[in-house]
Amino acid sequence: MSLFSRRTWRNFDVILLVAVLLLLIYGTAMISSATQATEDLRYLWQRHATNAISGLVLLMLVAALDYRFYESLHRVLYLLIMGSLLVLLALGEASQGVQRWIGANAIQPSELAKVVVIIGLAKLLADRDGQMHRMRNLLISLGYVLVPMGLIYLQPNLSTAITLGLIWFIMVLMAGARLLHLGILGLGGIIVSPLFWLSLKDYMRDRILLFLNPTSNPDTYYNVQQALISIGSGGLLGKGFASGTQSQLRFLRVRHTDYIFSVIGEELGFIGALILLGLFALLIWRILRVAAIASDPFGRLICIGVASMVFIHISINIGVNLGLLPVTGLPLPFVSYGGSSLWTFLIALGLVESVAMRHKKLAFE
Amino acid sequence: MTQYEVKLRLFLFGALVGLVFLILAFQTWYLQVVHGEEYRMLADQNRFREVILEAPRGVMYDRNGTLLVRNRPTYNLVVIPAYLPEERTERMRLLARLAEWLEMPLTTRRGPGDAMALRVSGPFPSGRSGAPWDRPAGDGIGGMGIVPPRGILDMVEEASLLAPYQPIVLKEDLDPTLAARITEENVNLPGVQIEIRPLRDYLTGSLTAHVIGYTGAIPPALTAEYEAKGYAANDLVGLTGLELQYEEVLRSFKGRETIEVDVTGRQLRTVGELVLPRPGHNLKLTLDTELQKVVVRALEKGIRNTERRAGVAIAMDPRNGQILAMASLPGFDNNLFVGGISTRDYMALVQDKRRPLINHAIAGLYPPGSTYKIIPALGALQEGVVTPNTIIIDEGVLWLPNRFFPDNPELAQPFYCWYRQGHGRVNFIRAIAVSCDVYFYYISGGYEPSGFQGLGVDRLVYYAELFGMGQPTGIDLPGEAAGLVPTPRWKRINYAETWVTGDTYNMGIGQGFVLVTPLQILNAYAAIANGGLLYKPYLVQEILDADGRVIERHQPQVVRNLLDYVSPENLALVQQGLRAVTALGGTAEDLDVLGVPVAGKTGTAEFCDNYPKCLDKDGRVKTSHAWFVAYAPADNPEIAVIAFVYGGGEGSLVAAPIVAEILRAYFGQPNEQDQVEATPTPLPAGPPPAGASFTGHFLGGNRWGSSDTAVTGFVLDRRGMPVPGVTVNLIADLEDASWEDPVIAQATSGPTGQFDFTHLDKSISQAWRLELADYAVTEPLRFEIEEGYQYWVEFRGVW
Repeated sequence: MSLFSRRTWRNFDVILLVAVLLLLIYGTAMISSATQATEDLRYLWQRHATNAISGLVLLMLVAALDYRFYESLHRVLYLLIMGSLLVLLALGEASQGVQRWIGANAIQPSELAKVVVIIGLAKLLADRDGQMHRMRNLLISLGYVLVPMGLIYLQPNLSTAITLGLIWFIMVLMAGARLLHLGILGLGGIIVSPLFWLSLKDYMRDRILLFLNPTSNPDTYYNVQQALISIGSGGLLGKGFASGTQSQLRFLRVRHTDYIFSVIGEELGFIGALILLGLFALLIWRILRVAAIASDPFGRLICIGVASMVFIHISINIGVNLGLLPVTGLPLPFVSYGGSSLWTFLIALGLVESVAMRHKKLAFE
Repeated sequence: MTQYEVKLRLFLFGALVGLVFLILAFQTWYLQVVHGEEYRMLADQNRFREVILEAPRGVMYDRNGTLLVRNRPTYNLVVIPAYLPEERTERMRLLARLAEWLEMPLTTRRGPGDAMALRVSGPFPSGRSGAPWDRPAGDGIGGMGIVPPRGILDMVEEASLLAPYQPIVLKEDLDPTLAARITEENVNLPGVQIEIRPLRDYLTGSLTAHVIGYTGAIPPALTAEYEAKGYAANDLVGLTGLELQYEEVLRSFKGRETIEVDVTGRQLRTVGELVLPRPGHNLKLTLDTELQKVVVRALEKGIRNTERRAGVAIAMDPRNGQILAMASLPGFDNNLFVGGISTRDYMALVQDKRRPLINHAIAGLYPPGSTYKIIPALGALQEGVVTPNTIIIDEGVLWLPNRFFPDNPELAQPFYCWYRQGHGRVNFIRAIAVSCDVYFYYISGGYEPSGFQGLGVDRLVYYAELFGMGQPTGIDLPGEAAGLVPTPRWKRINYAETWVTGDTYNMGIGQGFVLVTPLQILNAYAAIANGGLLYKPYLVQEILDADGRVIERHQPQVVRNLLDYVSPENLALVQQGLRAVTALGGTAEDLDVLGVPVAGKTGTAEFCDNYPKCLDKDGRVKTSHAWFVAYAPADNPEIAVIAFVYGGGEGSLVAAPIVAEILRAYFGQPNEQDQVEATPTPLPAGPPPAGASFTGHFLGGNRWGSSDTAVTGFVLDRRGMPVPGVTVNLIADLEDASWEDPVIAQATSGPTGQFDFTHLDKSISQAWRLELADYAVTEPLRFEIEEGYQYWVEFRGVW
């Protein structure tokens, strides 16, 4: 077994791991700053740190196994995750509300679903390597993601469904799909969009409408405004760690999760935001580097899927904080507080490390 | 896929990531560096709250320290939308509770299935401010249609969009018990607060409304002016009366402190400088509330039987110009303006043609009638037009020859005396006493056929202006009118006509073009009373700070000393004439003020505000204003009073009793309504002590239209109070020393101190003497009599 072989671990991407560690420390620090003014949230950063450590252990475990092992499991994983999404829907139907968690507060299947879909899609696309310029293959892959997308959308969890869609989009493009085909599909999507609009839940419509007309919901508008004020008032150097007036006096809401970037902007300024973006850029660059040296299309596509997942979360979350995008509740990878999503990202990175450890070419160079 | 394709696509993906990160970095830079300063201000606006510290406006006391105006705390219900429960159903439940308590609709927007949509009940929620022009238009009056009041939810939702941390007033002037209840439940009502705001409370209400005035919102036209003085847009300022005149003194200055708050509005610390508020200064007025009550009651009684029921009465101290009482009827209750007058009340006041909101004592312009006659009287004496002994014969009418055909008697114009039979032979004193119009035609305009030179219009104008006519008296109230002293130039400009002798005649008796305010006439008489000092009347004697320290004391201000222009002898003659008015034969001989000698003048000023209804069958004006102005005690005046009744008729019948009632009350005498049970108690209790002595004073004598000869006198103590029950002997003062002078008649002073002897027979003796039966008289009264004269005398106690 190559599980603990030195040669394999020599190829472990340490820089990638360091980038993740720095992001985790950054996030933990900012969570502690953002929550210290609130009595019952004061020790949340410790839970985040604990989650990060257990997540890192998961990363190592996932990396230790050959990623091709997951290839054989992808069907089982796919069925399992679909099943739990269905169970979740049934429970949600019973309680007539939003249902995203299984267990008291434990784990969101929709988060894990992203990793499972990335593995499954990577396998599906790798099997059709060089043939993705065919519309038929494109449609097959679309069908593959539409099922979990639909189930997640019905929860309802629009943002995760959209994230899945975007991951698919990037992955098929990277696998050789033609832009023309995607354009035709997009056109079809626009044609059926009125139906889609009618099926949207009220709060989802509100969020989209709010983006077009921010004054329509006072509360959400308030949150967006306070985020902008927080970031803007931070200036070049920020107000200092744990000294942001917006976050410490609690004018900024949901500051330890969705709006953690605003806390960074306020307290550490433009410099702090640039450092964060730099760490993210480093992280994505390292993942794409693994993709480039992957020994097979499956490994490469896994890395591309993970890179796109991380990238999409970063751009949507920060875009929302900066008032560039409609308000959706996507966490900032590694930095936002939140157990499920943190584990999901660390597991995904474990896959990337697994690919990195087993690339061949570089070993002989 | 080829290796090249894979690399290319990976590169493109990397480029996309780079591009997106660049966009994010750029936007961050744009917010933080380009607009950082603006967002820092917004962040500071979030956490810093300026708290305005209020202080009360100054209050007012009368001269005896009675509180007239104070500040009353009122409770406003205030909501800060941002602190309301975030959860929608919880928020709705809270607002619904408020709606029930405040009896206001939750919402008045029309939506599908909105049962509230048509409910327009309940009072106006907000927008109630002090000024009538600030009220929402179309409050149901004047057919402008009903604008439904906005509901609580509507107001809260609108405000939470614009300024969620700005408190909004849902309802003003809550019932205190409701306010207390809401305060108690405060814990369960996040975002709801009770704000205490002081409002004016006019304790004397309509009694003093014209003098004190009222406050309200800053008039839109003056917004800039007030803001320059540091007022806030929703401040209340004085709009009329002393509230306006002394705005700068009464206003309080707000303090402020800046506090840092967290998102729930909890105060964390005070930052920056604390500016303490300063309460307004208080005013001590010259007004006497008790006398004001008497004045208003007397005036109300006096106007009760007139058609228009409007009039003015003022009392002042002639020794310094202090206003003791000032009433203009009909009045209004200035408490109506507190917290905003309703449109209905305001329209009622504005549409009353008697204009109750106007203080007619200082702003009403009327012809003064005979009260004006002191002006030609003093002028004529001073200019030598007449001497005190000049006799003018009044046949009841004076025919003024036509200017162009002086020889044609048919074209001559008649100028009548009010007494159509004529007063006969009239000298100076009697002319004033009986208000002989013909006498004043002579001395004002002269009479060419008999070669009599009058004062002429120019000198008449000069003396009128000497008395302060045609200019505001300068009283410390806003809105005083100047009156009008007509001149030939004025007539040319306004009527394009030449001034004629007839105009001078009319002016001489206070008719024609002359217009005065009641205060101007009173002030002129006060100057006669005090021996020539024309004061600037005033209402505020002291300005005190909140601790009661006197900051400013207003001293009496002399505008002019008449003695710089006229001789004291001439002024004294006018005083004598005015004294004669209230004596037997004078136009106000019935003036019934117990024992206090009163000098005064009646006026019956013709006017026509409804031509031709105001004319009688003969084409003469039949409507007239009633005037009476007086001061007392005549020889040492301490009060001057004027009464004016709009369209009241005869001054002596309508206005004089009002003045009499006021004087009686002032000198502590019972008035008619009290007299029913009150036996006419001698006012200084008990007779004078046994050893008391008196001095006699001969006050004067005048022809009084009867062939009889009479003596009227008063027995007074040193203070001028009546002494009843003193027996007076009328003794024929015979030259023959061998006779013991016979006591011809005896009279006893009545409750007013007055005694009368009539039918003094010249055939018994030419010279007479008055003595007291039981007391020594240091200077016996000796006088010689003429037939048809009335004499008046006085005994003053010296114990």
